[in-house]
Amino acid sequence: MAEILIGAIALAAGFGAGYLVRDRRAAARPGAAPAPPDAYAEKVTEFAGTVAPVWSAQIDSSRTQMETAISQLTETFAGIVEHLDSVIASSSGALDQSQHGAFDRSRERLGDVVGTLDQALTASRESLNELHSLLGLNEELRSMSGEVTRIAAQTNLLALNAAIEAQRAGAVGASFGVVAMEVRQLADRSQNTSARMVENVDRVAEAINSVLAAAETSAEREGTAVAHANGEVQGVLDDLRSAMTQMQESSQELEQAAIGIRGEISDSLVSLQFQDRVNQMLEHLRDNISRLPEVAASLDSRVLLDDLSSKYTMAEEHQAHSSQKAAKVSESEITFF
Amino acid sequence: MAKTILIVDDSASVRQVVSIALKGAGYEVITANDGKDALSKLNGQRVHLIISDVNMPNMDGITFVAEAKKLPACKFTPIIMLTTESQEDKKKQAQAAGAKAWVTKPFQPEQMLSAVAKLVQP
Repeated sequence: MAEILIGAIALAAGFGAGYLVRDRRAAARPGAAPAPPDAYAEKVTEFAGTVAPVWSAQIDSSRTQMETAISQLTETFAGIVEHLDSVIASSSGALDQSQHGAFDRSRERLGDVVGTLDQALTASRESLNELHSLLGLNEELRSMSGEVTRIAAQTNLLALNAAIEAQRAGAVGASFGVVAMEVRQLADRSQNTSARMVENVDRVAEAINSVLAAAETSAEREGTAVAHANGEVQGVLDDLRSAMTQMQESSQELEQAAIGIRGEISDSLVSLQFQDRVNQMLEHLRDNISRLPEVAASLDSRVLLDDLSSKYTMAEEHQAHSSQKAAKVSESEITFF
Repeated sequence: MAKTILIVDDSASVRQVVSIALKGAGYEVITANDGKDALSKLNGQRVHLIISDVNMPNMDGITFVAEAKKLPACKFTPIIMLTTESQEDKKKQAQAAGAKAWVTKPFQPEQMLSAVAKLVQP
């Protein structure tokens, strides 16, 4: 837009200059009546007074349009940057904290489940140990029953010998023979009781062995189940950790992308500083053009150019003025007082 | 607590560029369109640093610096002039009015932040 405007100004200036030259030529033609100086000055002033406000208005219009557009653009960019800042600030670390919290809670709860299963398995193994010790006690009972049988057999033998000796003693030993008979009967009963005890011990041993076998099978199955549950829990936790790591990586990628976009937008905004500079240049040009009608009659360009030069604030304005070529923008300088 | 910086510039785009650079570095920012607006913003507002343009409507930057320095709250507040102005006499006027630094536009945000950091930490 600035180029079109400058072209229009140059064209209009060329037209103005042509107008003045034609007027002078007409005045210099042989036979033609020279225009009176006052009339010429009036014409020039009128010309300048006509074109200068139009040029100024066009410059002002361009300047205002550019200022409005760039201001809207910077405001939009600034809004995007602010939005990105808030997204980056809220996402940064939030996923880390929330995912660690969820993971720790899941691990704790699944750990409780596995712990309960472990406790049940331990209790079951303790019961098995109790059964084993019960089997040992039963064997001790069997041994004691055997001892009772042996004692009963010896007692029976002793009672038999006593009965024989009582018979030999005749009438004197008759009462003793009765006692010996009673002792033999007691020994027989002891032997029978002992035999029944052995039978019962065998039955108890059989029952314990049967329970033990079932309990051992069950404990083995429980052990396998607990080990399997442990493996499953670990697998679930591994899957959970892997999913969370992926989420974290995606989140970090998004965060990095947001930071990158923020940086690119910030860099673009820096470039938009041109508007402030161009705005000031156009203002200087507009103010200078608005002075054209008051100095046009004198045809003294120095008045306008000196006035223009006095308004310059930028080094490149001075350079462009003196070289009449586009000047490069100076680099920023910092001075501390 | 983040330090507050007042940006005074009649160009909205410059205000935005400076604001983004400063906010990104952790500073709080308030803005004003010209010297007069800035003086009204300073009424009851404590700021730790001021960044001001020179050529502005209503009240130019150098007059603003001189007026701001008269306020008790701003007596020791550092002021950076941020301007397209290249004239040495303007620079001297700003220094005489109480400015601490002079930065010419167009600036790079890193340059501005380094100048700001020498005068006030975030």
